[in-house]
Amino acid sequence: MVDRLFGWLMSGCAALVVSLLLWVLGDVLIEGVAHFSWSFLFTEPEDSGRSGGIAPILVSTLWILSIALVTALPLGLGVAVWLSEFAAGRRRFSDIARVTLDILAGVPSIVYGLFGNAFFSIYLGLGFSLLSGGLTLALMILPVFVRTCESGLRAVNDEWRRGALALGMARSAAIWHILLPAARPAIGAGLVLGIGRATAETAALVFTSGYVDRMPESPLDSGRALAVHIYDLSMNVTGGDSAAYASALVLVVLIVLLNTLAQSLLEDWFKRRVFVS
Amino acid sequence: MLRIFIRLLLLMYVLASASVVQASGGRLTLTGSSTIAPLILEVAKRFESQHPGVRINVQTGGSSRGINDVRLGLADIGMVSRALKASEKDLSAYLIARDGIGIITHKNNPVRNLTGDQIVGIYSGKIRNWEEVGGSNLPITVINKAEGRSTLELFLQHFSLRNSQINAQVVIGDNQQGIKSVSAIAGAIGYVSIGTAEYEENHGTPIKLISMEGEIPTSENVAKGRYQFSRQLNLVVRNTPVGLAKEFIAFAQSDAVKDIIEAQFFVAP
Repeated sequence: MVDRLFGWLMSGCAALVVSLLLWVLGDVLIEGVAHFSWSFLFTEPEDSGRSGGIAPILVSTLWILSIALVTALPLGLGVAVWLSEFAAGRRRFSDIARVTLDILAGVPSIVYGLFGNAFFSIYLGLGFSLLSGGLTLALMILPVFVRTCESGLRAVNDEWRRGALALGMARSAAIWHILLPAARPAIGAGLVLGIGRATAETAALVFTSGYVDRMPESPLDSGRALAVHIYDLSMNVTGGDSAAYASALVLVVLIVLLNTLAQSLLEDWFKRRVFVS
Repeated sequence: MLRIFIRLLLLMYVLASASVVQASGGRLTLTGSSTIAPLILEVAKRFESQHPGVRINVQTGGSSRGINDVRLGLADIGMVSRALKASEKDLSAYLIARDGIGIITHKNNPVRNLTGDQIVGIYSGKIRNWEEVGGSNLPITVINKAEGRSTLELFLQHFSLRNSQINAQVVIGDNQQGIKSVSAIAGAIGYVSIGTAEYEENHGTPIKLISMEGEIPTSENVAKGRYQFSRQLNLVVRNTPVGLAKEFIAFAQSDAVKDIIEAQFFVAP
């Protein structure tokens, strides 16, 4: 009896979470579709975003994301590999590194925004630019990405490491051809978390990539990210709600698309590692 | 597919480093109040279209950021959604628009006017029923703005209140949220930007702007100075503006942007 009750309780929890998600998505979908049209994607915003489209904002968002991912991915993988494979001899330093990463993962994004503004925009002289914004986001997604990849690498059975050693594989080759492909699901998860967090980020970008809604010509131009646009429309622009919903719809679709793309790229890459070379 | 992707990213990086050396022509940077930013962005677009080659970058972050950035020379012009304080006399302000703040209630509430004392009484929790101010027997739901909002600062200053004295049932963020709360609660009272409230009233949202001390809250009365409870929207600079900054401020104060100011639900001075 108690068991059955417990089972119901748990499935009730699951149903609640799923229905909440469906509610949010349904709301965005229903309200967003009303304002959405294909030209919405390809025109410039007019009247503070109430009419017109989001073309420059989409381009800026993609710029910022690419810069963030290109910076964070290799760096993050490097740190993760070091922590799980090479840090054994330096316990103290690697422990400090882990704690630092965990603390950084919990730092609110506005703090990254202020740091990015002080360091990239002012100290390095990048100003309000897509580059400042992308680098700030890279810093922001690094900790979670590193820790996810590291735990994925650690979870790889030691038999595999020994097997590689027994076959006389160099350590670098073992990591490249065996460990990283084996940790693929974790790397994928880290990527999904990173992309989600970066695409939906507002606070860190207001002070770094900025508010300008013109089509960016170079990564040194200021550009408004999609999340900043949605925030502005719903908070500062009277009568901007319907455009905000349509932009939110685009944002949700964009995150799904980017995650699918990232996963397939990852799959592609690892297949080569394992089978071709 | 992977190779194409990597090449694209490399190309982006090269472009990024190449443009570092690019010289910039007529550029102007503005930072500050998020209330003013959407308005100035539209003004800037019109200015740019009349001055080819000129680039005006508008950034937000709040009024105090605008003041800070102007002082540090990080921005040419700051946007400040209030009058300058005594400690800010090193800057000069140029009024571009006003934003009136009106008391709103639910549409079905029969009360048409409140005195300043009654509003203070309601917000400090001494008056709890609409009956006490000439309305029907209905408990009052007080809606206040969250800490840090400039409308809250203005409200407290106007009625000489401290935020700790206010006894609110609902605390909200922006104007839109205030309007949604008031339209959903029959006994609610709140305060929002008049332009926003007028827009919502005309679009069928069940809210109503009510008079204060007999002053009727309309955009027109704000413009003519017949409604006291309003805030200034200013552009501020450190020294006497020259060149492009001077031109832009003059443009933002001219009749050429009146329609933009009205489209953003503010009042041209």
